[in-house]
Amino acid sequence: MENFEPVIVAFCCHYCAYTAADMAGSKRLSYPPNVKIVRVPCSGKVDAIHIMKAFEKGADGVYVAGCLEGDCHFKNGNMKVSRRVNYIKKLLDEIGINGDRLEMVMMSAGMGDYFAKKATEITDKIRSLGPNPTKTVLGFAQK
Amino acid sequence: MITAERKPMEELTEYVKNHDRILLVGCNECVTVCAAGGRKEVALLASALQMDAMQKGKTLDITEITLERQCDPEYIEELTPHIDQVDAVMSMACGCGVQEIARRFKNTPVFPAVNTKFMGASERQGVWAERCQGCGSCLLGLTGGICPIARCAKRLLNGPCGGSSNGKCEINPDLDCAWQLIWDRLKALGMEKQYEEIIPAKNWVSGRGGGPRKIIREDLAE
Amino acid sequence: MQKNILKSDSNKVLVVGGGIGGIRCALDLAEAGRDVILIDKAFSIGGLMTQLDRTFPTNNCDLCTLSSQLSESSRQLHIELLTMTQLVNVRGEAGNFDIHLVQAPRYIDLDQCTACGNCYEKFPEFVRFSPGLDHRAPTCMRYPQATPYAYSIDMDQCSDMDGLVQTCPAGAIIPEDSKKEIDMNVGAIVVALGAEVFDPKGLDHYIYDSSPDVVTSLEYERILSASGPTGGELVRPSDGKPPQKIAWIQCVGSRGLQKGASPYCSGACCMFALKEAMVTREYFQETIETTIFYMDMRTCGKDYELYYQRARNEFGIHFVHSRPHSIVSDKNSGELVITYTPYDSSVFQKESFDMVILSTGFFMAEDTADFARILGIELNEHRFAQTDNFNPVVTSREGIYVCGLFESPKDIPETMVQASAAASMASRNLVPIEENTDNTKEYPPEWDVSHEEPKVGVFICNCGNNIGGVIDVNQLVDFSKTLSNVVWAEMAGHGCSRESLGRIKELIMTKKINRVVIGGCSPRTHEAKFQDTLREAGLNKYLFEMANIRDQDTWDHLDQPEMAAKKARDLIKMAVTGVIHSRPLTDHILPINRDVLVVGGGVTGMTAALNLADQGFKVYLVEKNPQLGGMAKDIRKSIEGENVQSYMTELIKKTLNHDRIQVMTGTIIVDHSGMPGLFKTGMQVGKQMFYRQINHGVTIIATGALMNRPGEYLLDEHEAVMTQLDMDALIEDQPDKIKAYKNVVMIQCVDSRSDNNPNCSRVCCQAAVKNALRILDLNPDTRIIILYRDMRTYGFYEDYYRMARQRGVIFENYKKDNPPKVNSAGDKQVEVTFRDRVLGRDISVPADSLCLSTGFISDDEGSEDLAMVFHLQRTSDGYFLEDHIKLRPVDLPIPGFFVAGTAHAPKTIRESIAQAHAAAARARTLLNSDKINLGASVARVDSAKCAACLICVRACPFGIPFINADGYSEIDPSKCHGCGVCASECPARAIQLMQFEDDQIIAKLNGLLERKVA
Repeated sequence: MENFEPVIVAFCCHYCAYTAADMAGSKRLSYPPNVKIVRVPCSGKVDAIHIMKAFEKGADGVYVAGCLEGDCHFKNGNMKVSRRVNYIKKLLDEIGINGDRLEMVMMSAGMGDYFAKKATEITDKIRSLGPNPTKTVLGFAQK
Repeated sequence: MITAERKPMEELTEYVKNHDRILLVGCNECVTVCAAGGRKEVALLASALQMDAMQKGKTLDITEITLERQCDPEYIEELTPHIDQVDAVMSMACGCGVQEIARRFKNTPVFPAVNTKFMGASERQGVWAERCQGCGSCLLGLTGGICPIARCAKRLLNGPCGGSSNGKCEINPDLDCAWQLIWDRLKALGMEKQYEEIIPAKNWVSGRGGGPRKIIREDLAE
Repeated sequence: MQKNILKSDSNKVLVVGGGIGGIRCALDLAEAGRDVILIDKAFSIGGLMTQLDRTFPTNNCDLCTLSSQLSESSRQLHIELLTMTQLVNVRGEAGNFDIHLVQAPRYIDLDQCTACGNCYEKFPEFVRFSPGLDHRAPTCMRYPQATPYAYSIDMDQCSDMDGLVQTCPAGAIIPEDSKKEIDMNVGAIVVALGAEVFDPKGLDHYIYDSSPDVVTSLEYERILSASGPTGGELVRPSDGKPPQKIAWIQCVGSRGLQKGASPYCSGACCMFALKEAMVTREYFQETIETTIFYMDMRTCGKDYELYYQRARNEFGIHFVHSRPHSIVSDKNSGELVITYTPYDSSVFQKESFDMVILSTGFFMAEDTADFARILGIELNEHRFAQTDNFNPVVTSREGIYVCGLFESPKDIPETMVQASAAASMASRNLVPIEENTDNTKEYPPEWDVSHEEPKVGVFICNCGNNIGGVIDVNQLVDFSKTLSNVVWAEMAGHGCSRESLGRIKELIMTKKINRVVIGGCSPRTHEAKFQDTLREAGLNKYLFEMANIRDQDTWDHLDQPEMAAKKARDLIKMAVTGVIHSRPLTDHILPINRDVLVVGGGVTGMTAALNLADQGFKVYLVEKNPQLGGMAKDIRKSIEGENVQSYMTELIKKTLNHDRIQVMTGTIIVDHSGMPGLFKTGMQVGKQMFYRQINHGVTIIATGALMNRPGEYLLDEHEAVMTQLDMDALIEDQPDKIKAYKNVVMIQCVDSRSDNNPNCSRVCCQAAVKNALRILDLNPDTRIIILYRDMRTYGFYEDYYRMARQRGVIFENYKKDNPPKVNSAGDKQVEVTFRDRVLGRDISVPADSLCLSTGFISDDEGSEDLAMVFHLQRTSDGYFLEDHIKLRPVDLPIPGFFVAGTAHAPKTIRESIAQAHAAAARARTLLNSDKINLGASVARVDSAKCAACLICVRACPFGIPFINADGYSEIDPSKCHGCGVCASECPARAIQLMQFEDDQIIAKLNGLLERKVA
């Protein structure tokens, strides 16, 4: 797996994380292009099924990015999804897909630097975890 | 409602390891309400089973369907068009649903996806607690509306036991002592006298002691 | 100084100052259909608040909350924003002012500049882009939402004009730009000048000049900020090491003690310091020792006392009641040694710290006097605006209003209240709007796409090389053409330019494109613009998706163009697969009833009712007591010496006689339903309890609080013991009795800041000082002792406190755990025993009168009933809880509901009146239109799937879903906020959030990932 380029899906809330990602851009901060953002109105909108489907389709890592604790535009959607993320991490562990491939992060709209830093950290971590095992075994079996 | 919890994935993947085409059936009643086997959980389990299979080098053909209720034969009938296209059925309903499917479809194996737990109530979002054991002869009228059979660890009919301390149960300090609750409530209702009455030993024949039970409403039964 | 409504020649309001107050004021006016000229001398608006890291008491990041207000303001049709502009002349009168403005050259055409940043990248020295801060300071580019979203050229720095002009792909740089002189006519002026922050340079005993580790609170704010000079790391400026011990010194530049300091209290610094100390421990390191040196902790805002107690008890912040003598930098260790004398000691103590924060206060710059002359308004002795004793936003000149810091030192919520109040007052100088002129654009009818195959058009912006300079846009266009359902793809240059938008519109119509994807910048900034083009072409605006290939791709991956190109393909593909699943949606637009219900007939309720009735609205004023007047009718004199009684009599008369106000006394609200614009409220009226239902569009809650009268200190048992309110009446009614008093003792915080009533009642410190001064007016020889915990004479009340001390009133501090003791000493006197800090022992005083400052308690029973009927939230001590404690202090969380006066929190009459006008202004914004657009992004329940499990009912952050009579969950689209939490928690998958349906999100994932799976 030398040239492994992970595919990472970031579900970002409109009010904080998505704005932080825009800010990373306007500050020309570099982070790995592996991260692809799906915009949601609130991180609390991110359904367990969206996360599972992302992995099922072959994402190597997924993270949900919401507002800082106490800052959620919709009061507490970020805290709700944070618990949901923990629940799905356990389910992923159970089926042999390392729960560490899924993460919850929180940031304010002004934290462009932090967005870039987390994107880099998570990409590095997923790189070290290797490809989503559903892809490798299946690919192997088909050869 | 009847409460349930999804079984560990290891157990579920073991059930279906020799099957490729699976009908995954949810139920829109109790198990939806306790977030164990409704449409959402069906979709999550389908995805999880698929990913597990992919790691073993195969893909599953999973059909997802959620019935209004799995404990009525008319609803079960909705599965008929699918049954010939699958190797196995996995039900996310309580034990009643699993058995109803098994009763209807003689030639297809049926597996339970959840462990049926108890009859309970929602204490708050995401928390369900046991309230009734279906003993067949209800005592709640004597005990201030709090069931000592379902809620006292020892099922004492005349409690509390010596293990009740500060209103909590000795089995689990997070658990309220049911008899403390009964006493507090009777007192609040001005029914302390009721507490003095000894509740005689219970005849468990009305419960499981008399074997499997059945209700027949003569006016309705045909 | 109450003004009558004037006939106006001009329908415009000039708002001077683009800080948070000026923005709020401009928005309220614009939303009420008034034209506004908002001027600021800086390059972009935002003011002081954009420099803060977090705001108390929620410790929220204020950027998130402010930014939406900034862009909101730029979007408003009615607001003309003139930055770099100053007011130089005002002539005329209310309703008809001729003003003269001067605008400095920006050298950039705002209409052309796309804020691409090429100029700044090439010539950072010439270009400014920050909210009033020099971009070269480490605080530049504080946030990406600067308004206007454009740069400015610093001509003094520019040495290569040709190079600069050429670097701009949009041709927006105009070197020949020059100063502009603007004359216009306005009906009213609102002055929202901010204040300056005290500069501690020159205070040699606090070594701000010589030690880099002594910083001001605002500088510390920047150090804490994630976007600050240290990138969010908390380190000492001197050596970059993390500090372990930090001290705050309060009242630097306030309360008149240092060189050049102001005599008044700056009002905000106590909370500011608490917040910084808490954030330090919460977000950086719990082990950092934090100590606050204070004179009085003035935490008298709403729930601020609880915040203070949390800082003390949960965050372990140390408090030292002392004003430190000096800071000395230890030569060997470099530590900062603070020398101080604790309040209850006479011995010097020393303690070392790594960093010291000076809590610097506000002051008005010297040139304020010149500006006041231009405006023709009077200033007070402190160079703040002189305003009316009953209405803080009214100046000495008719038609000119103030809000925020220019009125007096204060924090953000009070500024927001005054901003709305000023908007409301200014609006009354204008011609009433006859019929609302319908500004909405005419669009062609939408064509029905329901039976059409998705036909996607993809338009990819080059964005002046912002995109095209990194990736090959033509290749991306070719790639787009290969995607399924794409019928058209092309490059769009600057997609958002008028020509491009015209072409997109044309292509939609000729090629029958029924789904549009724009590959370009962020939907946060440009979605609305493109959606408008869809509508012009007759396409539903929700059949649209933006792929953010600029802000989230080419700008970030400049160094990896190939990867950036690959990512761009992924983003375009995700947008295409997603947009195929988009559905035409309808914004929820409803006609509204424009009548107003005001609940509560005290000073606040009457003020709000009169304000709106004067503007032409029908008002129902409901009061549960048999008469109007509330608490204020029992108050005789205000601290400023105004006769409250005659003011109230006049107010009641006006209210009762107003032909658009229907007063219903003895009336209790019993039921309520509906949505903003369509409320129905049922009530029982009068002694016979007749049931009556009224229809109304908005509701203002002004139910007030109660005067507290706890059975403490022999109150109501001994003749000599009374409340401050009793004393207020006694002074007016029986002056001879007062004159005979030898000793008067006052006890503060009687059943306020107590376990039973934990918050501060805010008004009692000034009330005690007021009564003390009036007693001395009657008999200068009376000995008055005020026993207090913290004297909270915020803002200019400090002047009265100082005056009281000068006139011999004795102020003695007591602590909560050792309160004074009171015993009866015969029929006429009581004996008061308290701890004397100098003697260190108890002393007893015989008092002819003991005045208890008993403050307010909430009307718990009344507010609980109303909260039940209206579904409103309350604080733990029974006051109504507003939507946002900082930025929306008048709006309640339920749309269409507003709160004012002591139903919100304890406050003075003057503050209640301001909030009443503010509530009227906020209500007015909803009443401007005869319909309301609620957007389309709402949750929808599929009743066939719903299991009525209640999970959505419990999960909704706003309590909107309910199980209806048919037995399934119902979500009122007019109340849904569109977060989608219910949809993601529904175990039956019965709920979908429009615009973000599951199939759209999963389709996007498919677009990104499908080739990854075999």
